[in-house]
Amino acid sequence: MDQKKRSSFTYPPRNNSPQESFNPNYDCPQFNSQNRTESPYPYDTPSQFFNSQSREWDPHALLLNLSFLEQKIHQTQNIVREMIRTNEGQNCNISELTAQRQLLTTDLTSTIIQLISTAGSFLPTIRTSLLSGNAPITQLGSSIPSASSGLSPSAYQPNPSPDYEELTKGWGENGVESADQIQIEDLDVKEGEDVGQDGDTLPIGSYEVLQLEKEEILAPHTHFCTICGKGFKRDANLRMHMRGHGDEYKSPAALAKPAREPGSQPMPVKRYSCPFVGCKRNKEHKNFQPLKTLLCVKNHYKRSHCEKSYTCSRCNTKKFSVIADLKTHEKHCGRDKWLCSCGTTFSRKDKLFGHVALFQGHTPALPSDEVKGKNEEINDKDDSGGVGYNDGDEYLDMKGGYFSPMVNFDSFSFEGLDEFSRTTFDPTETSFSFLRSGSPDFARKDPGN
Amino acid sequence: MCDITTVLSVDLLAQVLDWLHDSRDLKSCRLVSRAFLQAERMHRRAIRPLRLGPLPVLLRRYVGSLQSLDLSSCPSLDDSALSLSIPCPNNLRSVSLSRATGVTWRGLEVLVSVCPKIEAIDISHCVGFGDREAAAVAKACWLKELRIDKCLNVTDVGLAKVAVGCSRLEKLGIKWCFEISDIGIDLLVKKCLELRELDISYLKVGNESLRSIASLPKLEDLALVGCEYLDDEGLYFLSNGNCSLQSIDVSRCENVTSVGLTTLAEGQQRLRKINAGNCSPVLTSTFVSKLCTLGDTLIILKLDKLQLSASALEIVGKNCRNLFEIGLSKCNGVNDEGISWLVEGCTHLSTIDLTCCLLVTDKSLLSIAACCRGVKCLWLESCVLISEKGLDQIATCCTDLKEIDLTDCNVNDNALKCLSRCSELLVLKIGLCSGVSDIGLSFIGTNCSKLLELDLYRCTAITDDGLAAISNGCKRLKKLNLCYCNQISDTGLSHLQLEELSDLELRGMVRITSSGITAMAVGCRSLTQLDLKRCYSIDDAGMWALAQYTENLRQLTISYCTVTGLGLCHILGSLRCLQDVKMVHLSWVSIEGFELALRASCGKLKKVKLLGKLQDVLSPELLQTLQARGCRIRWVNKPLVFKG
Repeated sequence: MDQKKRSSFTYPPRNNSPQESFNPNYDCPQFNSQNRTESPYPYDTPSQFFNSQSREWDPHALLLNLSFLEQKIHQTQNIVREMIRTNEGQNCNISELTAQRQLLTTDLTSTIIQLISTAGSFLPTIRTSLLSGNAPITQLGSSIPSASSGLSPSAYQPNPSPDYEELTKGWGENGVESADQIQIEDLDVKEGEDVGQDGDTLPIGSYEVLQLEKEEILAPHTHFCTICGKGFKRDANLRMHMRGHGDEYKSPAALAKPAREPGSQPMPVKRYSCPFVGCKRNKEHKNFQPLKTLLCVKNHYKRSHCEKSYTCSRCNTKKFSVIADLKTHEKHCGRDKWLCSCGTTFSRKDKLFGHVALFQGHTPALPSDEVKGKNEEINDKDDSGGVGYNDGDEYLDMKGGYFSPMVNFDSFSFEGLDEFSRTTFDPTETSFSFLRSGSPDFARKDPGN
Repeated sequence: MCDITTVLSVDLLAQVLDWLHDSRDLKSCRLVSRAFLQAERMHRRAIRPLRLGPLPVLLRRYVGSLQSLDLSSCPSLDDSALSLSIPCPNNLRSVSLSRATGVTWRGLEVLVSVCPKIEAIDISHCVGFGDREAAAVAKACWLKELRIDKCLNVTDVGLAKVAVGCSRLEKLGIKWCFEISDIGIDLLVKKCLELRELDISYLKVGNESLRSIASLPKLEDLALVGCEYLDDEGLYFLSNGNCSLQSIDVSRCENVTSVGLTTLAEGQQRLRKINAGNCSPVLTSTFVSKLCTLGDTLIILKLDKLQLSASALEIVGKNCRNLFEIGLSKCNGVNDEGISWLVEGCTHLSTIDLTCCLLVTDKSLLSIAACCRGVKCLWLESCVLISEKGLDQIATCCTDLKEIDLTDCNVNDNALKCLSRCSELLVLKIGLCSGVSDIGLSFIGTNCSKLLELDLYRCTAITDDGLAAISNGCKRLKKLNLCYCNQISDTGLSHLQLEELSDLELRGMVRITSSGITAMAVGCRSLTQLDLKRCYSIDDAGMWALAQYTENLRQLTISYCTVTGLGLCHILGSLRCLQDVKMVHLSWVSIEGFELALRASCGKLKKVKLLGKLQDVLSPELLQTLQARGCRIRWVNKPLVFKG
């Protein structure tokens, strides 16, 4: 574990060596290529440094930051040069090119952010104006996937969200931090049941809106083997599969879950849009209600815009598009159906009797009594997400399959989830103390680079 | 010849008829003249036919006035018979179909539709009845009284049907409807607010039911016998409820203790009857001490099998002065001192149950005789310490004594001599008293001419002469138990000329033969129940006699008799009222014999007891037909053992 931390979070040397910049946690094909010049190095350390200093202005720190920025600009220059070189060589494919562009964009974005933050620590009066400026920056990130639409979601992995998050936190502790907590709830699958419903009062613009394409939503597999192309629902299964392709995939580091550095920071608040135009969950809708998690997207899209292909084998009438809904229904379908003389059905006897007690003249119907009016369809379950996903299987599926393509670029998303959420929810500790205790070493080491 | 009706108008005649209760007296009256018949026809409100055949004629005769119809003793009653026999415009208010196992929901629907004014229905002990039958009954919207005891398949749904359909219900019995749960009771309580009497004995309901029941505003009488899931918490709900209970029966509720009873006594101040027998026997004294709050209202108190000290009885005696009946059966601590305290206070006691109070001696009888001169019923079974001295005092003082149980009390002829002074005696039980001989019985026969019931179980000293004395003296006997009185022979039986005898037990009387049975059958034509088990010498001739003379025989036990297939076929085929036959170990009857006999009786029988081995050899089709006609078959697997 220690080993791994070092490899992914020590400030990477800028020597463009693919060997050294290779992050074992990336399992995306694009970044395994030789052409990749830059690793999406984590910006944690400088930003943490900024933040830890942000309360009292320190000229040394400012200098440090500026020199860091200088380095960073050099580094971006290197990427551009590399791009020019590969373009001249004519041996690149489109995806690599896009990946590089991607990298460039994110690098530039982060440079801008850091510049602003440096200025912010220097001039505390500009806080408010900066906060309002958050949204466009976020939107900048969200515009990336639409630009590279052919690409799998992992293409924009290098989006350096953790430090961006950290930065915004440093300035607007109140607003953004609460948003963080909501997001963490999203990651927690058990609490995901009422997502989108629980008074999601995020102001419009305070979150990123992502929209996946239909094909992506309905894709059965989300992890693909780079060598043979086989698809998997879970990243863990893919890792197991990879062992067969050679000894290098058998190392404990390759087999371990992509770890998350405990000191790393949460992602920006993300909300999702349904790709179906006209749907209330589509971002074009005037009363747009975003979906909270990828699981919500997947379930909403299947329930609302797909054919109901799973039929209950007991009653042969009820159809579902989400298999978990079918399973939930099948638990109650059939023999223990309680029917009132008015035609209303109940899953439980006490509910029926409560109904009968309430209405004059209603009686429980005998099993073979004629059913006068059947309430055929129960209204579709809430669109917003994982209703009824208490199933262990679903839980796993969701964890490995739905989330990882989007978030495993940060490599922390699941490994570090537990400690992460623990720290964040701890009311006694502010994020600052958490940072300080976590990373003094890095802060000291960084200037050397 | 002067017509008597000119002197005695029909109105007056009807008033006279009001005072006639015995069916024989009424029959004599009907036979006087056409006018008397007419008066009786107009006066009659209820009939209870024993056979289906004459039913349409009877109903036509009484259709105008008849309000109550009891079909519980009709064999082979099924849907078509039921729907055909009830005339369409009628004033029927009450119909009893108890044990009418051949009827289904279709018959009940017809019944309810042709009797628009029906207010009471009894379908108890129709064990196959379920929700569908309950739903049929529920269509009688004016129903006030319903008994569905032991309709084993009635569930909450059936009860809900009744509750919704019959919201005017005042009396409901759902004893032994095991499928009913708290949910059903709750709905019943919400829908039937007029309920006054409710019997939920032996149901598997919990305290929640009592919480619901407690809200019934008019409830007076609640029976909770053997509800094992009820406890003190439920009684707490009752004590704080809206209802003003007058009678509660929590006997055999294992989890009800004195704590619950105490709260109940505190909360329900109008309780008149409490039956707390066989409850959890802890802390009885606290409950008894709380009884003083009920004081004068309490008239019936049953505390069977509770631990009662003399002081507890003293409290009862001092506080419950109007007590009319007390049950102290199997109460361990009851002794002479306690009884004397009790009777000193409760001088109005009429019924005293001291069954198995082993410490009770003559002293108790003396104090009872001194204080409670109005005692009518005295239950002293197994009070082995009592003697003729105490009984003498009882007979002298309590001249109104009607029932006395001296089973297993080792009384002798002298005691019977004393008791014979009680000329009002109706019920006398002296089973297992081997000291009783013909001399004692002759006293009884001479003086107790009103006797209705006599139990001489295992009074082995009795011979033919004793039986003769009884038969000659007690002409009104309805019930006679002579089991294992093995000195009695055919001669004794031939003395039995008791026109009203309906219930006769002759089990294990090894000396009697078919000729004795024939003589008895000729003399006792009203027999409805007869037990001949282990009367090894009785053969087909006895069956022929029974088939010929005792037409009303409904229940017959002929296990171990030397009856052949022929006799069995004849008796099962001929007796039109026969409904319940126990025929285990009939070694002389072949399989074909059983088969034919059962076919001959098919449709009438409601209960049959057969040897288990026959289950596999009798044709399944026959067994299916029997069961489809509502007959329950009990298979017995006892070894064949001859005892004498």
